[in-house]
Amino acid sequence: MSRFFRQAADSDSESSDSEESLLSSDDDAAPKAAPAKPAMSRFLRLANDDSDSSSSDSKSEDEDGSDDDDDAPKEAKTKIKSAFLRDSDEEESDEEVKRVVKSARDKRLEEMEATGKTMDNALKINDWIAISTEYDKLARMVQRQQNVAEPIPPFYIRTLISLETGLNAALAKEKEAKKKMNAANARALTAMKQKVRKTLKEFEKEVKQYNDRHSSKNSPAFAAPQVQVRPEVVKRPIGVEDDDDDDDFTHVGRGGRATQYTSEGIYKHLQAIHEARGKKNTDRADQIRTLERLLEVAVTPYQRIRVLLALVSSRFDYNATVASYMPIEMWLSAQREIDSLIAILIDNGSYSVQEITEEYDDLIERTPEGEKDGVVRIRGSIISFVDRLDDEFARSLQNLDPHGTEYVDRLKDEKGLYCTICRAETLYEKKQLPEPIARVIMRRLEHIYSKPDAVLTALESAVATAEIPVVLSLASQPSPSKLIHTLCVHLYKSGNSVLRTRAMLSHIYHHALHNDFYTARDMLLMSHLQETVYSMDVGTQIQYNRAVVQLGLCAFRSGLIKEAQSTLQDIFATQRVKELLAQGVHQPRFQTLTPEQEKAEKQRQLPFHMHINTELLEAAFLVSSMLVEIPMLASIDLEEQKRKAISKPFRRLLDFADRQVFTGPPESTRDHIMQASKALQHGQWEQCRDLIQDIKIWSLMPEATSVKEMLAKRIQEEGLRTYLFAFAPHYKTLSLALLERTFSLDRRAVNSIVSRMIWTEELPASLDQSAGVIVFHRIEPTRPQQLAQILAEKVGAMVEQNEKALDIRLGGASSWGDRADGLKGDKRGEQTQERRGRGERRGGGARGGTRGGRGARFAQGLGNQMTKAR
Amino acid sequence: MAEYDLTKTIIPYLDRHLAFPLLTHLLESGLFAQDQVEAAQYELAKGTNMVDYIVSLYEQLNPDSEVPEEFAAKREKAVAINEQLQQEAKAVLDVIENPDVAQALRQDKNQNLAYLKDNYDLTLEQITALYNFGKFQYTYGNYSGAADYLYHFRVLSTDADLNTSAHWGKLASDILTGKWDVALEELNTLRETLDARAGATPLSGAAAQSQAHAEPLATLHSRAWLVHWSLFVYFNHPAGRTLLLETFLAPAYLNTIQSAAPWVLRYLAVSAVLSRRAQAGGGTAPVSPRVRHAIREVVKVVQLEEYQYADPVTKFLKELYVEFDFEAAQHQLQLADRVVGNDFFLSEFREEFLDNARYLISEAYCRIHQRIDIADLSARLNLPPDEGEKWIVNLIRDTRMAADAKIDLEKNVIEIHRPALPIYQSVIEKTRGLSIRTQALGAALSRTGQQQTQPAQEQPAVVEGAR
Repeated sequence: MSRFFRQAADSDSESSDSEESLLSSDDDAAPKAAPAKPAMSRFLRLANDDSDSSSSDSKSEDEDGSDDDDDAPKEAKTKIKSAFLRDSDEEESDEEVKRVVKSARDKRLEEMEATGKTMDNALKINDWIAISTEYDKLARMVQRQQNVAEPIPPFYIRTLISLETGLNAALAKEKEAKKKMNAANARALTAMKQKVRKTLKEFEKEVKQYNDRHSSKNSPAFAAPQVQVRPEVVKRPIGVEDDDDDDDFTHVGRGGRATQYTSEGIYKHLQAIHEARGKKNTDRADQIRTLERLLEVAVTPYQRIRVLLALVSSRFDYNATVASYMPIEMWLSAQREIDSLIAILIDNGSYSVQEITEEYDDLIERTPEGEKDGVVRIRGSIISFVDRLDDEFARSLQNLDPHGTEYVDRLKDEKGLYCTICRAETLYEKKQLPEPIARVIMRRLEHIYSKPDAVLTALESAVATAEIPVVLSLASQPSPSKLIHTLCVHLYKSGNSVLRTRAMLSHIYHHALHNDFYTARDMLLMSHLQETVYSMDVGTQIQYNRAVVQLGLCAFRSGLIKEAQSTLQDIFATQRVKELLAQGVHQPRFQTLTPEQEKAEKQRQLPFHMHINTELLEAAFLVSSMLVEIPMLASIDLEEQKRKAISKPFRRLLDFADRQVFTGPPESTRDHIMQASKALQHGQWEQCRDLIQDIKIWSLMPEATSVKEMLAKRIQEEGLRTYLFAFAPHYKTLSLALLERTFSLDRRAVNSIVSRMIWTEELPASLDQSAGVIVFHRIEPTRPQQLAQILAEKVGAMVEQNEKALDIRLGGASSWGDRADGLKGDKRGEQTQERRGRGERRGGGARGGTRGGRGARFAQGLGNQMTKAR
Repeated sequence: MAEYDLTKTIIPYLDRHLAFPLLTHLLESGLFAQDQVEAAQYELAKGTNMVDYIVSLYEQLNPDSEVPEEFAAKREKAVAINEQLQQEAKAVLDVIENPDVAQALRQDKNQNLAYLKDNYDLTLEQITALYNFGKFQYTYGNYSGAADYLYHFRVLSTDADLNTSAHWGKLASDILTGKWDVALEELNTLRETLDARAGATPLSGAAAQSQAHAEPLATLHSRAWLVHWSLFVYFNHPAGRTLLLETFLAPAYLNTIQSAAPWVLRYLAVSAVLSRRAQAGGGTAPVSPRVRHAIREVVKVVQLEEYQYADPVTKFLKELYVEFDFEAAQHQLQLADRVVGNDFFLSEFREEFLDNARYLISEAYCRIHQRIDIADLSARLNLPPDEGEKWIVNLIRDTRMAADAKIDLEKNVIEIHRPALPIYQSVIEKTRGLSIRTQALGAALSRTGQQQTQPAQEQPAVVEGAR
């Protein structure tokens, strides 16, 4: 990597064109040379694209007739070079020429200075397009400079500052000017504003140093052109910019005159801080210190509210980057401050914080008496503070190592956060604002819906001890589930459909967590969410996936193996379980994610403590697949039919296990299940049971022992079925007593299972009651007979497909085939059945159709979103 | 048996007047203490205008105390209102009963209204008087009168809500007067109006969200009511049971039952069991496939809803067709027999139910077994051996099993030899009806082709799908 970059830096003097060719060649090399920094090469490529257009820009600039003598020769050089460029050794010779004269470093500096000069010139004539071009170039150079670990030249900082002042001046002028700049120029100006702001943030420290030095002595190093700009630079900080103001305060404060912060002066300070907000070179830490001190002197509720509002928002501003999280200290104080803010608002009913208020003078004290209706309305938003606080909490958990003590310590703060949320709820309930209440309740619900009762009770008891008079608390509700229910019902009644959906999903999740499978399933099916969820935002989709998965686990725990299998089927068919549950970032095989995508994905990740254990999930899925699939596999004897698999992922693993020449003792969960499946296939249910019960991951499941018992029973039954299927051809009669003994089931169970198999015509046999045996009536069909049967089935399937296709075309409900109703009657009945029972009852034929569709859509859910983001 | 009594769950879905017969039945069945039921009757009656009935109930409850004054006052008031309403209604009735008018009336209600207004000076308000009078008559128990007035009102009125209300009133009146044919007709028209309304709402209600939320709920409620009211009709009309299956197994009503009133499954299950006779015996009247496969359908629903509702009747079906546990099924049948006997709607069908249920058990038993001990089967059927044998002989004679089953008296067993279905038979079975279905498909296709002229695209999709 360094090789390339140095080389690139060396050839700085070359035209942008040659540079581009070089860089693009490097792009190919970069992944190998610098796998750790893919972003770098991408950045460079972007920069190159810019520079490409810049050459044409600067050309136009020339035509404008500016006296840019620095640029002109360069331009010419570019042209010549681009003509030369086809020759490969051109660049080499060029480099050599330069190298004779100066060291690489000097050359770079010189190059930069030249660029800086061009920018200054352009600044003078207010040509922002040129500035933008040059700036990009400069930024690139500095980037390289950093890459080779050389210090940032002070020159760069100087240029930055002068640029910023120039920018501000230009913006101010632009606002007043009657004649606007031309569009391209204006656009460049705005773009520049953003770029400079970003860079300034990066070099904050250096800028500050520079400013300090600069204010002490006027450096003689500055060239003439800058001097003309300087006065502005010097003037502006004093006049408008506030960091200098702040500096003053700090100075005074240090001087011991703390009385400077009087309650009268508060509003002035607040305004100053308010104006400085969002500007690049404001010292946020310092602002916070100032505000903290202001809070100490604030007397009236109005003052305190104002200061707190400012303080909390500047705390949230403290960390501007999205990637990292707020320092925990800072978060805790923000939480405390929000608490006290809410407390003030609750105690003083005549003050209200609203997002939309009438205009009022920031600088005067206001009291309820002075207002028209006795209520002081202050601009601000508590709900957004609470939201932000909650988000920051989640972000910090995302970034902490989940296995460290720090994570656990951080989790302890949830109690406080939960209390804050409840406080906010009380506040809004008091003020009777339905919209924020719904949002706050949603936040609250999100904290408790996935928690076991014990944790929920702990959180609620924290609220109770903090004596927050929440209307809906555990104390007033008989049970945690009831509390969740009340919260959800509140949200169902709110007008916001997103909140309603999320509340519904949380409710389903909660029911599933409490093994209330039927209620959860009915809610899921009746809400018709599975039809609309694909058009919702990613967060909701993730929540939907979580709810569905939890529902599957719930079915598994309750012993509803078939339901569990078909519920979990969808998500496992995608093979991206972790991603769909937001528990890991997906790595696409054939393309790399752009940094933005990656960032967005990372932000979506759930904190570790909310994860659903995927290994457990997989174990549940595979075991239920085994119980469904193995008897079915045994029941079919035609190669043709064997291709139809209920559970593809399971079948794949089984096939893989079959091909293994030697199998060692099982280690992983999968090994266990595969060997158990084989044992079950051979009718050795005891071995199968032992293998399944040995799986360690079960210990993570609540009520593990009862689940194991349930599994053992299921294995017994399915073992019997598999045995009958697999070995029926070898018997003419089979004694029921033998089956009883082999599978240690009682007579009734054996009878019931065998009878069911006979009734459903799975087993061509009948019972001889007096002798106590099963009599098999098996006929071996000949090959043509077999083929005829298959053919008949296929034709039937085809007609069915046709009918379905036509149904879709004609829009389902308006039935086209009134005549065919007689034949289709029962089928239609099944369809309506399916509306309710889709989740758990997917009989053989209907399966093929629905599975592919749902599975695919599962996968698309996130995919669509990502392409949109791109 | 009281725990299986559904009166309490059903009454909320019934009209006050419709509940009286149920309570009377409870008195007879003796499941609950007599005085409690009487008290309930009294409470129920207090809300009506049947003053004499209230007084008699009151006297029954409190034989010693005086009849309070308020009843007399109430009676007078009722009479007064009756007079007044009758006056109002009479004007309209006079006009309508005029033969000229009757002839002049057409299908179009608006036109009728205009006609009446022009020629006889009848306004909509006056017509509404018919409704009010009918309703009032209903409250004091004159059901046939109420039915008349409501009928006339419905013919003339254009107000959709009042019309529906009149519909309900007329249905209740017909039920209470015991005119089952009329009631059945009324029930069907009412169902159609409700369904039409439910079908129309998604279009109109889409605009206002709250309305869209309220509408399905209203549909659900009215359907749930209809399901309960129709029980009266279906279990009294001679062809009621098959009609019940037909209606209740329709998707819309099945959903209603599943989500709002799972206990109706009992009636559904009993009807399904009863329907066996219809298909086995008759064969002349064409039964719809829904009825033919009723038992299968019902078993599915019962299994699905087991977590919500279970009683001996549904458990019987479940044990028989899901678990194939004949012992348990027989046990449940014993219970179910008593439940059916105590049920208001079902009590008349007790014998028939038991009979059919036995058939079902023996049919399933014979299909699964090859050699059956007669004594054992008799026990399964809850019959003494002698009767069991007779029963089995009848069974064999009645059903198609005659060819397969033989009784071996020496060993006291039935031997059943059911030759396995030949392969060609199964192929025929599978391909049967394919051509008709394809024809229907073609017909539908050409129909759409006329409308849209784009049937050509259908073909590739079909081929692809078939693979």
